[in-house]
Amino acid sequence: MGFLSVVANGLSMGAIYGLIALGLTLIFGIMRIINFAQGALLMLSMMVSYWLWAATGINPYILVIIVGPIMFAVGYICERCLIKPVLDEQKDVREPVAVLLLTAALAIVLENAALMVFGADYVMAKTSFSTSTIALGPVTVSAARFYGLIIALLAAGIFYLFLHRTQVGCNIRATGQDRNAAALMGIDVPKTYAIAFGIGTALLSVAAVVLIPFYYVHPSVGAVFMTKAFIVVVLGGLGSIPGAVLGGVIIGLIESIGAQYMAATLTAMLVYLVFLLVLFVKPTGIFGSPYDW
Amino acid sequence: MKKKSGKIVSLLLTAVMVLTLGAGCGGQGGGSEDAKEIKMGTILPLSGSQAPLGKIGQQARDMAIEEINAAGGIESMGGAKIKMVYADSKGDPATGVSEAERLITQEEVALITGCYQSGVAMPSTEVAERYQIPYFVDVPSEDQITERGFKYIFRLAEKTSWRNRAQTEFITSMAQKYNTPVKTVGLIYENTAWGQGAVRAWEKYLPEAGLEIVMKEPYPANSSDLTPVVLKAKKLNPDIIMMVSYVSDAALLTKTFAEHQVKPLAFIGTSGGFADPTYYDLAGDASENFFDISTWEPDVNRPNSQEINKRFQEKYGYAMNAEAVKAYAGMYVIKDALEKAGSTEPDKLREAFVATDLQSGPAQMYASQTKFDETGQMINAPLVICQYQKVNGKMERVTVWPEKEARVGSQIVWPYPGAGN
Repeated sequence: MGFLSVVANGLSMGAIYGLIALGLTLIFGIMRIINFAQGALLMLSMMVSYWLWAATGINPYILVIIVGPIMFAVGYICERCLIKPVLDEQKDVREPVAVLLLTAALAIVLENAALMVFGADYVMAKTSFSTSTIALGPVTVSAARFYGLIIALLAAGIFYLFLHRTQVGCNIRATGQDRNAAALMGIDVPKTYAIAFGIGTALLSVAAVVLIPFYYVHPSVGAVFMTKAFIVVVLGGLGSIPGAVLGGVIIGLIESIGAQYMAATLTAMLVYLVFLLVLFVKPTGIFGSPYDW
Repeated sequence: MKKKSGKIVSLLLTAVMVLTLGAGCGGQGGGSEDAKEIKMGTILPLSGSQAPLGKIGQQARDMAIEEINAAGGIESMGGAKIKMVYADSKGDPATGVSEAERLITQEEVALITGCYQSGVAMPSTEVAERYQIPYFVDVPSEDQITERGFKYIFRLAEKTSWRNRAQTEFITSMAQKYNTPVKTVGLIYENTAWGQGAVRAWEKYLPEAGLEIVMKEPYPANSSDLTPVVLKAKKLNPDIIMMVSYVSDAALLTKTFAEHQVKPLAFIGTSGGFADPTYYDLAGDASENFFDISTWEPDVNRPNSQEINKRFQEKYGYAMNAEAVKAYAGMYVIKDALEKAGSTEPDKLREAFVATDLQSGPAQMYASQTKFDETGQMINAPLVICQYQKVNGKMERVTVWPEKEARVGSQIVWPYPGAGN
């Protein structure tokens, strides 16, 4: 029965990795902006969520109603004021390296600003369900992580419908595929970019409220999850939402099950080994389209 | 013009003073008659990221020196006063070495104390050994410091591996006292030099006590999820779980153990994250009944401990920590040695340290008996075990072991009753 608990933990933690990677799927996978500030923006979402929770004491999951729009605004403004001018300069470059450096710099600024404003102390939201577990038959799983699993699947489903069934979603995908063709079809490309970046950042606020009941907040917390988010996005296939969830779950399961048979430090190696194997067999990732690049 | 000549005069005067002092020392072989001031040097990290740690060490020394000087200085040397020269190591070994050199050759100190970091202590003690000047190591705990055959190095602190030895002694004594046989131990540690060092010591001491290590689990520091490690511990079910963690992982482990209702006889931390003031803010009630090891706690039942801590608090506005206590007690050990030596001559001072057997005075707040072995290592450096307990609804670190140093009226919770019980 212990083994089932291990699998359940791997599944829920993996779904949360997928949730963290959802925003990156949009920004990096679809819009092709290598955003190194994603981890720092996650940290910012967690900080904002934590302080809102500390001030109001209401269920952190509900806080997404407030944190989501705040982070959307942050993402929208970042794109408009920082990324767009640089992108315009490098319009004809397929891989705009300057944007990559810009986001890396943004990450450093955000982390150090957080260090100054919030200090270097670790904090964690202590909710009523923070240390409780849910027993599903013989399986015990942490309540906070189990809710995370459900929210991750819900968020992924809604996000999928948004991208495929709404006009804005179609605009985003079209712009991601070919900026110039999209402009010729009458899509407001700069605005679409800003909206996409805003949504990609707002998705982090969902991940943030899922994380704060069981994970500490610290100015450097973004680094813990950012490398994993990039692996998840590439492993699942650039721009694929089911791919992001599946990629996250694969990593979660490897970490959880692997640790039962080897030292926990070795599972990190195993994750990269599987990553290499998948890329070797299918370079576009699990659900990646071969025509995309 | 006038200013300049004034400067020259003062320089000349200084030169004369230094020369006469030097002559006095040379002529008298120790200068016990003329030495109204005993100059000592201290190396501490007074700037850089470790500056707050250095500052509290400086304050503790200053308080002890003020007390000693106010009480008449060193009697055997005609009431000579102690004068401390502070040197800043910046926490950097190379700077520590050059500062040690400067203190000895230019400041001509009789003795050096310091220096917080083991990394600075290792090379800077070599300088003192070369010049044959006594070096009193109060805080650094790296085993090697007193294992190099040096003659002028004396260390008040415990060796790092002694903490693991004391943890083992604690387990054995609890097993006997509460008649709960302990056979197996699980080790969970961050995969760093610190964690691996602790494991090497545990692998030495635990089997000696007849305990079997059934789980040895390293994890990467700052993990995103430690549930896999916790579930593994639940499956292997060792009698005792011992941990080496920084505060983020310590809190994560504690909470996850509570979530999955892992219930060994005891959880024992190895200072670091478990001693961090934010640990119980993060882990909350899940930290209840967890054990940790340390050398001094504000509530420890030792003579003078409460009074001195209170004086310190009134003077500087915050309580002492274990490092401050070692720095403070160290000054009284040095005073005792100076009284016996009656001289600042290095060899006489060294002899006095070798013969030290201090069993009274303010140093009692650290140890009931201060005595050095032939390597210069303090014999039986004191270690205490404390437990996170709710006192009047507030989580506190309560010193519980050894019994004679435990908080008055405290009670050990053994075996671990499970989270929330």
